[in-house]
Amino acid sequence: MSVVAVLRWGGLGALALLCLAGGRAMAAERITLAVWGSPPAEARALDLTIEAFTRSTGIVVKKETIADKYMDVLRSRFAARKTPDVFYLDSSEAPMLIKSGVLEAFDGRIDDLPDFYPQFIDAFRGDDRRIYGLPKDYSTLALYINTRLLAAAGFKPEQVPTDFNALLEFCRVLQARLPKGKAAMIYEKDLARHLSAVESFGTPVINPQGDAALAGNPAMLAYLQAFVSGRQSGYVLSPKDDLGADSPAAAFGAEKTVMMMEGNWVLSALRKDYADVPFVTREMPRVNGRPQTMAFVVGLAVSRFASNKAGAFRFAQFMTQRGSTAEAVTDWARLSGTLPTRISVLAALNLSADPALAAHISGARYATVWSRGIGLPIVNTNFGNQFLAALNGSKSVRDAMLRAEQASNRELERQR
Amino acid sequence: MSSPRAAGSKGGRRAAGRDSATAWAFLAPTLLVVLVFTLLPALFALGASFFKMDIVSGQASWSGLKNLSYLVEDDKFWAALRNTTRYVLVVVPAQTALALVLACVLNGRVRFKRGFVTLLFLPTLTSSAAMTMIFMWLFNNNGIVTQYLQDHFGVTVRFLSDPAWALPIIMLMNVFSTVPHFMVVFLAGLQEVPQNLYEAMTLDGAGPIRRHWEVSVPQLMPITFYVLTMGLIGCFQVFDQAFIMSGGDGGPEDSTLTFTLLIYHFAFKTYNTMGLACALAVVLTVIIVAATALLNRFVKSDGANT
Repeated sequence: MSVVAVLRWGGLGALALLCLAGGRAMAAERITLAVWGSPPAEARALDLTIEAFTRSTGIVVKKETIADKYMDVLRSRFAARKTPDVFYLDSSEAPMLIKSGVLEAFDGRIDDLPDFYPQFIDAFRGDDRRIYGLPKDYSTLALYINTRLLAAAGFKPEQVPTDFNALLEFCRVLQARLPKGKAAMIYEKDLARHLSAVESFGTPVINPQGDAALAGNPAMLAYLQAFVSGRQSGYVLSPKDDLGADSPAAAFGAEKTVMMMEGNWVLSALRKDYADVPFVTREMPRVNGRPQTMAFVVGLAVSRFASNKAGAFRFAQFMTQRGSTAEAVTDWARLSGTLPTRISVLAALNLSADPALAAHISGARYATVWSRGIGLPIVNTNFGNQFLAALNGSKSVRDAMLRAEQASNRELERQR
Repeated sequence: MSSPRAAGSKGGRRAAGRDSATAWAFLAPTLLVVLVFTLLPALFALGASFFKMDIVSGQASWSGLKNLSYLVEDDKFWAALRNTTRYVLVVVPAQTALALVLACVLNGRVRFKRGFVTLLFLPTLTSSAAMTMIFMWLFNNNGIVTQYLQDHFGVTVRFLSDPAWALPIIMLMNVFSTVPHFMVVFLAGLQEVPQNLYEAMTLDGAGPIRRHWEVSVPQLMPITFYVLTMGLIGCFQVFDQAFIMSGGDGGPEDSTLTFTLLIYHFAFKTYNTMGLACALAVVLTVIIVAATALLNRFVKSDGANT
């Protein structure tokens, strides 16, 4: 055993003893934190943030990673009144927990509120206008373009249209110049990818009365039809069903497609696993003349059944606040590779200097947050099921959306 | 316990009381577990099926039979009924027939019989989650089976994302994993069949096939009843395979949505519908009881020789 190894193990042992002693001494101040499984870099960043929090406040954090079916597990824990003190909460799931009245409001505990993107904060507001979650980080969609494949087909990235209809027409032209087995673009069928586009025609998918409205707007149906036509003519394909890839990023990485519309979560895989694939990112195409993209926001929420509410609030503040803990927030954003929800932090990190991230960051200004009250999971499921049927050609887009709308409304009624 | 009672003496009665007290003491732990984890939850579910219930907040409001009417008008309920019924109608006969055939083959003079039984039994020992992962690996778009079909026959089948194929794959998987268990049950039954019946048939000039149909099959009736009943109940409750394969959604296009998966959706996925989940559980109970009763009419549990 080398001296270094002896020192390392000895150090570890001493640390363990310290932890034991520390744990006993500070038994009163403890919080539990529930998170979902995340990539190694993000998990490590979280561990470092937790350590910094414990150093600065003396509160010991017990982290619990729920690897799969995060919300299902959490809901059953709420039913049993045995919840974590503070936990990750996705913007799309927040309304249900807020409506059930099991979250603590942050009220006066958020400093410099205008520093957050307003729509990110609104995703965690209840009907009473109080805020029940602190936005921690977000992802947006952008258009990824494989420059090598594009050049081989005789095009430059600047020639890729910025309007949706023109982009689809470009895909059709591009497809003719591609070798067999490669697609001009790939699609995902979920409403989470299309909400901002379909709502840019002026009809919200869930109206103020809480009913689903999916089939009434012909322009919106035409937007969906563009994907169906694209698939049937073979220039917009499904990464899984048509190209046999496990994920969009895998299809893009294996150069089976020239373009994809994806979130910044694909960046680490593209840079690590498919480092030889040259790509650029652009903002999402304009639909109906309007800039649009989706934002997926993650917040921190405090349970009403928390055993240490004060500690839980302090942790949520520590991860998102400016002021005394600015380093913690920037460290978290820098190390985890996520995009910070505070405009000032974003500016401080100068993340826009990264050309791949720039498109994602500029999208945040006009992004539609993936959150629409308690009806969204139902509308999402029915939309996905029926849009898939339309894409498979088993029914027309109009019939599919009518069906999705009817089924959603029937199911929404019984939630009330 | 009956002999002291027959004696009728005072001491005998006391002994009987002591005996039954002992019996209750031994039964108590099991009864307690059944009461707490089976009977009370079942009663709770029955009660909850008349309420609208949000399990997260614990709030409930009376809704009478509304949950049942929601079910009747729900496409997903009918999709689940269709899928589950199809599943039962294919899997139960297939697994019973295959198990019987395998048991009869192994009951004959086969070399390395124990080796075969052990090998055949392995799928039953594998956890259903692991089995599902293996099948998904075999049948996914880059899987061995899909690739083989593509390379040798030029056909492309998207087994896991094609609504027409997803459920049959789960059926295949379930047959593969339950046949060995029922095979062993049949094998044990075959060893109980009196040899003289076969000898008598042989003397009458019957061949092996007639001996099989006229001795083995009727003699195995009680076992067959057990296998069919257990298979039926198990199939109506299929959950894990469908859950893992569709990622919990029941897709593609609701083709793998089973009753239990739908119960799970109502309970944990949508807001305020725990009562609906319980109502569906009650409906499923009624269906299983009815199907078992129907089976009981056609297959005599006490065997054909009575």
